[in-house]
Amino acid sequence: MKVLVCVKQTFDTEAKIELKDGKISDAGINLIINPYDEVAVEGGIQLKEKGIAKEVVVVSAGSDKAMDAIRTALAMGADRGILVKQDTAADEYARACALAEVIKGESPDIVLAGHVAADDGSSQVPTRIAEILGFPHVNVITAVEIAGGKATCTSEADGGTQVTEVSLPAVISSQVSWNEPRYPSMKGIMAAKKKPVSTVDAAAVANKVAIVSVALPPSKQAGIKIEDEPAVVGAKLADWMLNTVKVEVK
Amino acid sequence: MSANFAYQNTRDFEFILQEWLPTEQIFNYPRFAAYYSKDEVKTFLAPILKMCKEVIEPTNTDGEKNPVRFENGQVKTPPSFGPLFAKLQGEGWGTSNIDESEDAMVMPHILHAMVWEMFNAANPTFGPYIILTSGAAGLIQSFGSRRLKDMFLPKLMDGTWSGTMCLTEPSAGSDVGDILSRAYPTETPEIFKIKGQKIFITGGDNDFTENIIHLYLARVEGARPGTAGISLFVVPKYWVNDDGSFSGNDVQTTGVEHKLGQAGSVTAALSFGENDACRGWLLGVNPLENEGKGQGMAMMFQMMNMARMETGHLALSCIANAFYNARDYCRERIQGRLLTDPKSGRVPIMKHEDIKRTLLMGKAHVEVMRAMLYKTYFAFDVRAHDPDPARREKANDLIEVTTPLCKAYPSDEGWWLCGEAIQAYGGYGYCEEYPVAQIARDIKIYSIWEGTNYIQALDLVGRKMTMKKGSVFTAFIENIAEFCSAPRNEGQFTREFANLEKALTAYRQMQKILLKLASNQQMNLVAVYARRILTATAQLYGAYLILDQACLAQKRLGELPADHYDRAFYQGKVEAARYYLLNVVPNVWLIAELLASEDTSVVDIPSESFNY
Ligand SMILES: Cc1cc2nc3c(=O)[nH]c(=O)nc-3n(C[C@H](O)[C@H](O)[C@H](O)COP(=O)(O)OP(=O)(O)OC[C@H]3O[C@@H](n4cnc5c(N)ncnc54)[C@H](O)[C@@H]3O)c2cc1C
Repeated sequence: MKVLVCVKQTFDTEAKIELKDGKISDAGINLIINPYDEVAVEGGIQLKEKGIAKEVVVVSAGSDKAMDAIRTALAMGADRGILVKQDTAADEYARACALAEVIKGESPDIVLAGHVAADDGSSQVPTRIAEILGFPHVNVITAVEIAGGKATCTSEADGGTQVTEVSLPAVISSQVSWNEPRYPSMKGIMAAKKKPVSTVDAAAVANKVAIVSVALPPSKQAGIKIEDEPAVVGAKLADWMLNTVKVEVK
Repeated sequence: MSANFAYQNTRDFEFILQEWLPTEQIFNYPRFAAYYSKDEVKTFLAPILKMCKEVIEPTNTDGEKNPVRFENGQVKTPPSFGPLFAKLQGEGWGTSNIDESEDAMVMPHILHAMVWEMFNAANPTFGPYIILTSGAAGLIQSFGSRRLKDMFLPKLMDGTWSGTMCLTEPSAGSDVGDILSRAYPTETPEIFKIKGQKIFITGGDNDFTENIIHLYLARVEGARPGTAGISLFVVPKYWVNDDGSFSGNDVQTTGVEHKLGQAGSVTAALSFGENDACRGWLLGVNPLENEGKGQGMAMMFQMMNMARMETGHLALSCIANAFYNARDYCRERIQGRLLTDPKSGRVPIMKHEDIKRTLLMGKAHVEVMRAMLYKTYFAFDVRAHDPDPARREKANDLIEVTTPLCKAYPSDEGWWLCGEAIQAYGGYGYCEEYPVAQIARDIKIYSIWEGTNYIQALDLVGRKMTMKKGSVFTAFIENIAEFCSAPRNEGQFTREFANLEKALTAYRQMQKILLKLASNQQMNLVAVYARRILTATAQLYGAYLILDQACLAQKRLGELPADHYDRAFYQGKVEAARYYLLNVVPNVWLIAELLASEDTSVVDIPSESFNY
């Protein structure tokens, strides 16, 4: 059985976002595997360790830098990587088309991905891939059992859980609580360098959406701290709300 | 009890590897060439920050909460230490990096050391369990027979067993030549009966490895007295039979020490051969067949030199982490108003001049020590892998000269520097909820073990300065002179170079006085000044290294646009060098003046006068 994991390279979740010339600047930013995808990589490796999967292939669409994300996944234990070279301005549609094209060629039994990317948070790519390929799709899974050409997935549902059975091949996207991704071991990092990685150009597909502008949220105003006897504090706070902040009282 | 790993990034490591030292030379050695290039080192370094925070830091807290205990004859270590040992050794981060076998997957020593700087910062009391295992395995790898290698190395490398170094005895600490441990020949030539007591043995016992392999110094009965007659033995806690099973080997733990710091580290007192049933494997020649001369000390020096480097390296980790924590605290803590603008509001204490000075002092020392250590680690890779014998020899010379500096300078300065990190916090720094208090307790040992810093000073003054008739040390100092006279941009670091030159001149004067004292048989005065001479040597050498880095940083600043994110790093490097050259380096000529005064008060004071 072949497992293919889609990984996106994103900013470190602790990175400070800055705009330069109206775009998000990645200068000096530590790039990582999208933490949700990391869970999918771990899930794939565990399927291999359980003897269910024979091969775990990681695929990433993006710039050359995304090679680092692939190497990290290989260091964790994936077997092979494919870098789909694509303009970083590609939208979710173009990205899903590019990935679907590669997946078609690979014909995996299971396609894994995180359910959302930590940067743009649009939660679209796995669903779109499933749609393009005509595969069933199960989202936000927290557990999966594979047997008899079927995947039985436990997912989060409002206030409870839902168990879904799908036939393979299928796209399965993970919730972070599925597992605890491992850190790459030193031996894994060394071995990763010798694992095969191929590079292909993304299928030429035009974006469906255009980003008009990007803006940072307005910076928070400094608060005030009122220290006094409780009664005085109340009066001062009311005065501040009425006269300084000018809260309208209706 | 709040262990905190406060490294934020690996930028200084990348600067050292990718910009400052010519490491492509190392990454191109056949041993490493099939793997990563120097441009890819982040692949190793980046995951470490997170791993330190999430995996290792909690074990440091565990070490404080559940310190080492000795109950009913059994040693108990903090519960998280065993799993961490198994994980790091099993995953290849530890001892297996010394593996010399052909197909071993290893990374360059310099890069491995950077990984360990972070591991050790996250839990300094854990590191020695692995460092000593590596040292013990290294000795077996270098001097053991095929049989011993096969018996011990795989399990020392994969985390199943651990290792120690056993030198110290109750009556023999600095004076290893006076050890009382004895070895007696048996019918099997390589096997000796062992009898003796060892104390202060780090990792001497534990409750997480199946076996403990002690690298043990003893005198074969009938060998010469003093260090010349000492031999080195491999003494396992449990005897390993040919089929891999264990038999008892009469090694007993009699207690553990209760210490100022290092609560998670076992410091054991061990008794060997109490019931005449302890055996060990001899490494090297039998002194009884070699005019009574043993090879033990010479062999043990391989492990000791490595452990001396690691000791200075541990001190560096602690100092860096103390100041990174202090930086974070000083950014948050609001107190007082600016001296220059008292009407404005209260400010984070980071904005006060004295706090900034303290933090810069810490930063400058950290970067100097890092430069010093990694330049020597670079030489380790060259010595081990360069095809050119002349280069290997030069690398070895640098290692020899700088080992006492790398051990003693960080561990001497670390104690007061951690005091200053506490000072930056104010009262909270003195409280155990904040991490700097623990760091200060943990760091003190490094000036003591692996040969006290006085022993290091004697090594520098007595051995390293005179090695190969003094030519090695002359070349070491000459290098600094060449750096001073190399062409440089007009007006670049004028005052800093002037201080370096002044320090160099003073240092050379000091060398002349030392020579005079030695030829006048005034070794007592040399001893009085020895530790200070070591400090001056390290400060002179460190000044050269940090100024060299600053020149490079200055060049980069000239190339980068005004709003480039990386300017803060380079500017920090420049200011650290300026601080060091203008505020620390004057100590070199102060010490030179002190030596020139040939003050004999220390020699003259009668010991009775200390009664008052
Ligand atoms: C926590 C801990 C862990 C340790 N781990 C190990 C270990 O794993 N293996 C091991 O073998 N040992 C270990 N040691 C022992 C350590 O190496 C010794 O404590 C150290 O070498 C000093 O020896 P000592 O304590 O006997 O002090 P001493 O030798 O008694 O020295 C006391 C003082 O006198 C000075 N002094 C000694 N001789 C001279 C001299 N000739 N001239 C001038 N000054 C002198 C010393 O510099 C020192 O300041 C450990 C010690 C501790 C505390």
